[in-house]
Amino acid sequence: MTQQKLHTIGNGAWRKDGIAKVTGTQVYAPDVAVPHQWFGRVLRSPFAHAEIVSVDTSAAEAMGAVCLTFDDVPKVRYNERIVSTPPHLYRDRYVLADKARHVGEPIAAVAAPTEALAEQALRAIDVQYKPLKASLSAEAAMSPEADALYEKVILGTGEVAIENNVAVRRHVEVGDVDQGFAESDLILERSYTTVPQYHAQMEPKSVLCEPARDGSITVWASAQSIHNVRILLGEIYGIPLNKINVRRTLVGGTFGSSIQVNSVVPVCVGLALKSGHPVKIASTREEDMHSHLRYPSQLTLKMGVKRDGTVVAGEMDATIEIGAHNIQAFPFLGVLAGFFASLYKMPHMRYNGKAVYTNRTPSCAMQGFGAPQVHFAVESLMDELAVELGIDPLEMKLKNYVGLGGTFWGHGPTVKSIILSDGVPELLERGAEHIGWADRPRPEEQTGRHRRGIGLARGFHTSGVGQPKAQGAEMIDYSGAIVKINEDGSVDLAQSLMDHGGGTLEAIAKIVAEELGVPLDKVGISPVDTKTTVYDVTTHATRGVYAGGAAAHKAAKTAKAKLLALAGRMLEVMPDALVIEPDEELGQGVIFCPGMPDHKVTVGEVARHSHVNSWGTIAAVESVRQVTAPPAYVTQFIEVEVDTYTGAVRTLRAALGADCGTVVNPILAAGQMEGGLSKGAGYALIEDIGWDPETGQLDSKGFWIDGKTPSVSEAPLLGDVTIDFADTYEPTGPFGAKGIGEASMNPVAAAYTNALYGALGVRFYDLPVTPEKILAALRENEATTGAPVEARRETTMVTS
Amino acid sequence: MSNVAPVSDGSQDLRVIRVVVNGETHTGMAESRTLLSDFLRHELGLTGTHVGCEQGVCGSCTVLVDGELCRSCLTFAAQVEGSRIETVEGIADGDELHPIQRAFQDNHGLQCGFCTPGMLITTRALIESNPDPSEAEIREHLSGNVCRCTGYAGIVAAVQQAAREIASADGGGA
Repeated sequence: MTQQKLHTIGNGAWRKDGIAKVTGTQVYAPDVAVPHQWFGRVLRSPFAHAEIVSVDTSAAEAMGAVCLTFDDVPKVRYNERIVSTPPHLYRDRYVLADKARHVGEPIAAVAAPTEALAEQALRAIDVQYKPLKASLSAEAAMSPEADALYEKVILGTGEVAIENNVAVRRHVEVGDVDQGFAESDLILERSYTTVPQYHAQMEPKSVLCEPARDGSITVWASAQSIHNVRILLGEIYGIPLNKINVRRTLVGGTFGSSIQVNSVVPVCVGLALKSGHPVKIASTREEDMHSHLRYPSQLTLKMGVKRDGTVVAGEMDATIEIGAHNIQAFPFLGVLAGFFASLYKMPHMRYNGKAVYTNRTPSCAMQGFGAPQVHFAVESLMDELAVELGIDPLEMKLKNYVGLGGTFWGHGPTVKSIILSDGVPELLERGAEHIGWADRPRPEEQTGRHRRGIGLARGFHTSGVGQPKAQGAEMIDYSGAIVKINEDGSVDLAQSLMDHGGGTLEAIAKIVAEELGVPLDKVGISPVDTKTTVYDVTTHATRGVYAGGAAAHKAAKTAKAKLLALAGRMLEVMPDALVIEPDEELGQGVIFCPGMPDHKVTVGEVARHSHVNSWGTIAAVESVRQVTAPPAYVTQFIEVEVDTYTGAVRTLRAALGADCGTVVNPILAAGQMEGGLSKGAGYALIEDIGWDPETGQLDSKGFWIDGKTPSVSEAPLLGDVTIDFADTYEPTGPFGAKGIGEASMNPVAAAYTNALYGALGVRFYDLPVTPEKILAALRENEATTGAPVEARRETTMVTS
Repeated sequence: MSNVAPVSDGSQDLRVIRVVVNGETHTGMAESRTLLSDFLRHELGLTGTHVGCEQGVCGSCTVLVDGELCRSCLTFAAQVEGSRIETVEGIADGDELHPIQRAFQDNHGLQCGFCTPGMLITTRALIESNPDPSEAEIREHLSGNVCRCTGYAGIVAAVQQAAREIASADGGGA
């Protein structure tokens, strides 16, 4: 459905950053070093909840270290994620804690000329704590006996009291839910539990701050928005923004864990300002595990349907644990409602959400934000309803899903868009064919040790958080770009947007090349910093290509108009009569007038001519807010094999479908789907960051081996995964593109649990579905149905 | 906060370490406690070897020491005195990419790239010991290297391509 002939978009070009990455020359935040730098270390709380009685740094200072404590840091309460607009921004933290609210909370910090001395000095700091009662679950935190984490926090310009440790509540209601349930022929209600998944990005959070004599600072940090790092540091330390420069380094994965300015960043700046030396903090993996996690949730979902499968009413109650700080509980509760309302047409809908402080690692966004939680619940319950009604789940989903012409609540109740592109029917049809949906194994037909099942789940993610309101939005959402045509016709794309590795900037370079009509290798991605670029909110909400790409597209259009005006002057042709096309042989964009073949000039010739005649630089800067947030749809069919003796689950096949509008680079887009399947499988089957219920210590004690993430051993074999892209065109996106990234993971867990139902006839409501849970469920099933699973287990033990 | 190594006052404990890295002799200073990963990165400036966990779990820091795979984050610099070390910076032949590097590029066997140096070195050791690995052997060999971005599909495909290309180049030369 492409609307014009495309030269660059749609091909599987090599990554521009590939050579640096395979030769070890790519620079990440932990690799940055400057002469005479000192090393910073952070002292972290061993208690989940404690008053800090005293901090004695004299011994550490006697060693020559510079120490930073609560007394040294500005008394500015902030929220480290400055994406919500000020009236919706809950602020509860300082650079160093006034009170320990989780194990691993930064209490003090040191800087010293060597790492060994910094570590020694850290141990010489004497902190006296007075332990308080720790609340390690939402239930415990809300009980009357619980100690309050906060009396008050700041919201907007005022303070709000925190009662029963509940940080935020949200309520959304559409239609008349009670009437809707009264009209329903079948109502099911289930409770779903999801766990706090650890991002496990490869790069532990790192930061280097170099102060200068004039009071300015230069910062390199693991980040998803260099501009938000700069703005927040300006707010905390009262430094004018033109004296703060944050330089972009590539980031070794984030998956949402650096939407907020990571807590080590302002600590490092405090150490650098106090010591007057450049200071670097490279977090350890253990420290990283104490710093960020996906929001765990308890969702109670009730849905009412007609006998023919029409959804009539839905109600969801959500309790989420946010840990020790409120990073983005307000938008999180909003997206739970929005994603719930947008999966299936629901004339009557009610939602109640509450976010509860607990004495655990602060939760934050992770790939999918609230969508994997909601998808797990809704896609599981829809499957169960369909089976109960005797309807094919695929047919029931197709009948009810919110599609073309429907309203999509892109990012909560205030971000609504009319859906203009929808590849769901096509993707469901193709996926069903690949996986053999019609002939899928049924639980009642299964015998023997190994049982197979195929599960279907579908869903979406929003493409950005754009909306038409000119004032009063809940979230900031805009991007900027500078496109400059150099004196030889090559192009520089200077954009502060972060590419986490998925290839967002690669895709945007293609958008620029396509618009300017030049070969892709003519577009260079500039190394950038905050001083020389315009703002980009952050690469989150699957907005990189759709919203960030739109900014670059607009800048390319503006630059192209200037280019054609100058070319028209050279050729004595009206600019509107000119077109540009890449000429791969010339390695140049060629500007010509169709029908006047001798009126022809290359982009390079125009740029040179403009340069030597002092006509000026051909460049443009644009800043763009998208006014809609279209859904990037996905469909996922997964086939599993369960070993009923061990409870082990193997992924046999997957048929994945994505509707990302125009596919800018099919290989990179496929990479998103493959990565989403892996992280989704981890979420569904393996990953669980648990805590000691008494002390609040991580069960893993900070060791990755005990907080396992999927390895290549768990991935399906090559050739057993198919990936389809819908043939759609999103009219509001650059060259018809919308997002893909987070969508790739959202329905995966439900596809697995639905497949497990297909194999075993058992529903699972708590993630992750570990082998232990599968064996326990089989034993329970045996007790109720007489299926002799246990007997077979004993037989094996005897024979083996 | 549990797993912290004992610290010494490094100032009295410096020693000279001489190693051959990627064919060139390097001399640098290290304390007894200095890890090989830190020695390579901080003392020799070879930051291509990444430290993802400093616990020996993720495999990002993998290098070859005298031809053997080694987690440089679990090895002291003092242990490799006099050894031949190969890091990601030494895989290419000048400006010419090694077939393994080309294969990772061709197959998009990387996204953020942080795990890539360890993947490349581990692949190199595999193909040297087993020039025609099956998919199962590739998976077994790479199972100690974590990648959080790709889901591993592009990586496995890259190793297959690299083995094929190296085998056909060797065959052509014989």
